[in-house]
Parts: sequence; structure tokens; C-alpha cells
Amino acid sequence: MPPIISFEDIKVGDRIPPLTKDPINNVQLVRYAGASGDFNPLHFDPSIGEAAGFGGVIAHGMLIMGFVGEAITNWIPNHHLKKFRARFTGITRPGDIITITGKVIEKKETDRTILCSVAAKDQNGELKIKGAFEAQLPSRNQGI
Amino acid sequence: MDPSVKGKRLADFTYLVDRSKIKEMAEALNDPNLIYRDTASAQEAGYKDIIAPPTFGTSINLCGGPGFQELCEGLGADPLRVLHAEQEYEYLQLIHPGDLLHLTIDVADIYSKEGRSGVMQFALLETTISNQKGEKVLVGRSTILETPLS
Repeated sequence: MPPIISFEDIKVGDRIPPLTKDPINNVQLVRYAGASGDFNPLHFDPSIGEAAGFGGVIAHGMLIMGFVGEAITNWIPNHHLKKFRARFTGITRPGDIITITGKVIEKKETDRTILCSVAAKDQNGELKIKGAFEAQLPSRNQGI
Repeated sequence: MDPSVKGKRLADFTYLVDRSKIKEMAEALNDPNLIYRDTASAQEAGYKDIIAPPTFGTSINLCGGPGFQELCEGLGADPLRVLHAEQEYEYLQLIHPGDLLHLTIDVADIYSKEGRSGVMQFALLETTISNQKGEKVLVGRSTILETPLS
């Protein structure tokens, strides 16, 4: 588990540690299909990818959202995460290398909640996910 | 997409959370965090057992309930033109192995937008998940896009 970050330790503009994932490959897409139960053949059958106009298979959007989830929970413990959303803005293909970044955009003193923006981009800087999350953090004197 | 499915319940089912399914998800994501695999490590982190990663809700939905093809049929959508546009989760409780979850999936909205290449149709699906104690654990909102006929 990441070290506990207290609400007082966070400033608006703070960046979450970036995460760069290994290149996506076809085996990962098949494994993700099995793990998630999303057997849309677009993600493992090249002929369907062609028919759908993508020229081949594309990654599950939820795989990339899972990468973003990893970046978030490397920074704050899972039980502090309260809301998480993602808009899938671009197609990801095998071979793409995804990097996740994020920063604190708002602090709500009343319930010690922070609002952060997150983004997933590929090796060319193309945006795949634009998202946000909310986390409720402990006070410095309060522990977890 | 069939606009008349708006307001309908697409699914209502129970799902028993399996330890190996959580690990399988972590492996597929290539997320090395031990709290998804090893009970001792999860306990060291303050949890009673391993926990599900933040996007495990997708697995509960699609493995326990209607799969991709069935979902498309339920929405009257063409599988070749369906994409996931947005996803949102609200976390109320952690999910552990052995949890017996109850899920409902409702079509909260069906709407369309004029795009560059024609009319895009959207379905907003709302999944509500509660546990064996009757506590709400997770709410998921998925926006599914059907791209224009080309």
C-alpha cells in the first residue's frame, strides 16, 4: 500500500506520480477479454477490427482505465478512492505505450476530499482517456 | 439502438466474488500490487483479505450478467458499431472474495447527438451493486455509443 497521504499534505496543482505501462500486446488483450468478460471480438479478431473500420484489433477502453486505476492506487490507498470516471477519447492499438498522468485540481475542506484530473496518452502524446477521480483523505492527526 | 428500452431493467442477478478472478484481472492489467493477490500483503495494508481493483466492476457486470453480445441485443444495437464512450464508478465499500453481490443494470437514458458523420446514439447504463449485508458497495455508470451507419 502507498504511504498514507493526509489531506493537509496536498496542494492544488500537485502531480500524481506518472505511470508508464509496458507496450500493449495481443496476449494482454486476450487476457483482458477473459478477465473482464468483454468478449467483443473487436479486441481479438483482426477481421472484425477491419470490418469495424479500425484496420485491426483495438484495446478495451476499460483496460486503459484499469491502467489509470493502477496509477491512482499507487499514489493513494484503494479505500480512499470514492469516485473515478473516464471518457474514452482515442483508440489504443497493440504496440502502444500508455503513460498516465494526473494532478490535483480542487480541495474540499468540508469533507477532506480532493478532486484530481487524470489522462492516459500514448507514445505520441495522443489522448486515450480524459478522466477524474475523487479521494477522501485522512486528516494529519487522524490516521487512516 | 432501440429508444424504447429507456427506463428498462436489463439485468438482475447475483455474483459470488472469486479470489482467482480478482487475481486474473490484476494479471491482465499487469498491475503488480500484492493486495489483489496475497492475503497476508492485503492484511498488512489494513484490509481483512485481498480486495478488488478499482475497475473490477466491469468483470462483475460482464462475467456475472449479460455479456457483450447479449448487451447489444438488449439495447437493439449493432455490435460492429458499439463502443464504450464513458465509464464512472462510485465506491461505497471495498469488494472482497466471498462477497455475494446483487446487481441490477438499468437503462437510465437513451439519447442521440449529431456527429460529423451522422447521428450517434448513446445508452447510459446504471449498475447498482450491493453485498450480502444489503449495503450498497458500488455504483457504475457506463455510456455506450453506437456509431452512425456508414
